[in-house]
Amino acid sequence: MSFLDMREICKYYPESDVIANDHVNLSVEKNEIHAIIGENGAGKTTLMNILYGLERADSGKIFLDDREIMIKSPRDAVHLGIGMVHQHFKLIRPFTVAENVTLGIEQRKLGLLVDKRDAVELTRKVIDDFGFNLDPKARIDDLTVGQMQQVEIVKILYRKADILILDEPTSVLAEQQVRKLFETLESLTRTGKTVIIISHKLDEVMSISDRVTVMRKGRHTAVRVTSEVDEKELSRLMVGKGVTFRFERPAVTPGETVLAPHDVSALEKRSHRPLLDGVSLAVRAGEIVGVTGVAGNGLGELEEVVTGLRKVDSGRIEHRGRDVTNASSYFLREEGMAYVPADRLRRGASLASTVLENIIISNRRSFVSRGFFRLKKMDKFGRDLLRHYSIDADLDAPMGTLSGGSIQKIILSRELSAQSDFIMFSDPTWGLDVAAAEYIYTKILECRRNRAAILLISNDIDEVLGIADTLMIMHRGRVVGVFDNDGTLTKESIGEYILGLRNDFKGDAGNDGQATIWRSDGNSRGADDNAGNSDDHRDRSDFSPE
Amino acid sequence: MIIAIVLIFLLSNDPSRTIYYFFIGPFTNRYYLGNLLNSAIPLVFSGLGIAVAFSSSAFNLGGEGQVYAGALVTTAVCLALPNANGLAGGIAAIIAGTAVGGILAGISGYFKMKWNADLLISSFLISAAAVLIVNFFITGPMDDPASSLLSTPKIADQYRLLRIFKPSKLDISILFALLAAVAVYSFMYHTRRGYEMRMCGLNPEFARYGGVNTKTYVVLPMVLSGALHGLGGGLVVTGTHHMALKEFTFGVGWNGIAVALIAKNHPLGVIPAALFFAYLEAGAKAAMLHSDVTFEIASIIQSVIFYLVTAQAIFSFVRNKGRENA
Repeated sequence: MSFLDMREICKYYPESDVIANDHVNLSVEKNEIHAIIGENGAGKTTLMNILYGLERADSGKIFLDDREIMIKSPRDAVHLGIGMVHQHFKLIRPFTVAENVTLGIEQRKLGLLVDKRDAVELTRKVIDDFGFNLDPKARIDDLTVGQMQQVEIVKILYRKADILILDEPTSVLAEQQVRKLFETLESLTRTGKTVIIISHKLDEVMSISDRVTVMRKGRHTAVRVTSEVDEKELSRLMVGKGVTFRFERPAVTPGETVLAPHDVSALEKRSHRPLLDGVSLAVRAGEIVGVTGVAGNGLGELEEVVTGLRKVDSGRIEHRGRDVTNASSYFLREEGMAYVPADRLRRGASLASTVLENIIISNRRSFVSRGFFRLKKMDKFGRDLLRHYSIDADLDAPMGTLSGGSIQKIILSRELSAQSDFIMFSDPTWGLDVAAAEYIYTKILECRRNRAAILLISNDIDEVLGIADTLMIMHRGRVVGVFDNDGTLTKESIGEYILGLRNDFKGDAGNDGQATIWRSDGNSRGADDNAGNSDDHRDRSDFSPE
Repeated sequence: MIIAIVLIFLLSNDPSRTIYYFFIGPFTNRYYLGNLLNSAIPLVFSGLGIAVAFSSSAFNLGGEGQVYAGALVTTAVCLALPNANGLAGGIAAIIAGTAVGGILAGISGYFKMKWNADLLISSFLISAAAVLIVNFFITGPMDDPASSLLSTPKIADQYRLLRIFKPSKLDISILFALLAAVAVYSFMYHTRRGYEMRMCGLNPEFARYGGVNTKTYVVLPMVLSGALHGLGGGLVVTGTHHMALKEFTFGVGWNGIAVALIAKNHPLGVIPAALFFAYLEAGAKAAMLHSDVTFEIASIIQSVIFYLVTAQAIFSFVRNKGRENA
């Protein structure tokens, strides 16, 4: 018998009529890194939630060290040495990093008072040990999505669990941090810990795991020793067909500039540290501009500034030549903006509201006649939208009962239904499985064909490399590189810019905060990697897809 | 329920009689039944007021003052126009009462929007002050010297609402209560503003993202909530008491919170919730009159039943929330 054995686990959700786990078996050996892969909705997270006590299985047994165990709550799980880092963060937002990390197991003074200084010190130690870049005293509310994920990982490391469950832990981490995390995980297994990692990324599964369990539609389809399989076989087991990662980008001649921030800066409220430092860019009709960088380097702020959710401190933003600096998001939406946010669960959706209420947020006014909503029209719109995007959901179901993939599809369908001329995508495929990601890329390219101007902000270099026409790299709030994505760019060269190892991009005037103004004055030229010159931006008829 | 019965057995010398009057008593004659329905009316209004506020994440703890001030102002307008047309003057009086409630709560909303002042605290404090001011008027400048009660004079006959279930005090304002519940429901679920307001309450980030002016919806739900409270207060005067007595709306504001909780903030759910609450109160009164339980014991039994029901409502609410977050 294995170290950890989950046998014949079944879980049915009556609200959404989904069998999430259908007699699933999982056996994990001690000291191994065991990967669970599968599409969204395959039941991986449900299975791990059951192991962590967040959900109760309808039937099935769990054995740990040959003893049957009952896990009724996360408290039981933690007691048994099981810890979990969730895909969707479970942090208390008004609290600090240290408070979140030590929550529930605080060091106490006089048996009652929480020792804050101690909490900070202990947290700082874990942060330093594992090479994270976090301030233990920072409030969660002030962190970016990427930093929040780091806190989750620090939290689990602080708890010193024997079995660590990580649900999509790498999705927002930079290349280097992923490597560091993997090193950490490997060193943890050497000290006797066991790691279960949920992932969609085949290459990561290949590089980190000892064995892999493949799940599909609520069942386990295979268990393999990782060194004995290749990516192709795994993806076949996962989705039942081979998955291609190439994107055909038909040549599109970009039209006029649709959205152009000029020399935009935004400061952090308290410290006045620049979050965005003289950022300029231009997105033209029929073009995808991909912005990448490590989380915490201004990507989130750029996303908010462009969509009217954050005020700029200096600079100007133009939409079709019209000044829309610091315009409200309502105004921008009226102007023709659509926006698929990175934070789907908090910003992109209201989980406590119904699917229909989520669908109508951006065009709610169109259903009003004589002061009242036309419910039939609204219903029809919702039903048509779900059918058109083949989303399997009930209009009256609370959004929170759907899987992450379905939620993103609903957000996407809502934003794309408006025929906007400018569409902002931020980490559109984060946490999604291969098939769902591919679907979203198809949709993005469809928007490009329909001559929308597309700004794609993403932490995933592969994503930007795979789909963007122009690539922009940000580091510490500044643009450190702009490249024509002509197929000669490599992940490694971009990685150097992303991590701030290279700062030789000529368009950047250096440390004086001067902007990288390109296109607007035509004098910006890329570094050596940039095969083209500024004329290429205007004439891209010679552009050829990979 | 069983706990309540056990309590009655423990506390009463004649348990069967007490149980009978507690649970069946309110239905034994027209007078009790009518008064039960009548006492539910202000609860419907304050329950609706709280439901509107809570479902928009605006926390109005000032119901007491808003009901009371609404009642006083309605009385004052009626007294100031002793010879006016019943309908026109009555409507003016009710509108004035409604407006005062709305303004009282709206101030808190404005403070919140302007300085991010905590709604719970500001609405509670403003209400507490309002109660004292109203007391001053009832016992001071507006006191009826001819009456031994601490009250204003009675309002003129033409303002008094039609009694529809004599000999009880039930009047036609119960229809207004039903109408108000339907109106609030339509507003919240069938209009754009109601939708935007609920989205702001459930997830302000999502609302902002969708282009909703979230600042508006800090003030609006408070104003609506206060207005409903004020309206309830006004109708208590024109319907039931025909004058403003010192602290005669005592408890309605707080009970409205309980009603809204049982109703899970659904406007239509407020009606059965208010009836249930009024039924418990009527049962307690009937048991007091007809058997040996004292006021305190009746209240204890009433609150035990109430706690159990609310706890269940809150429990399922929390559980739903928990599932959403999972």
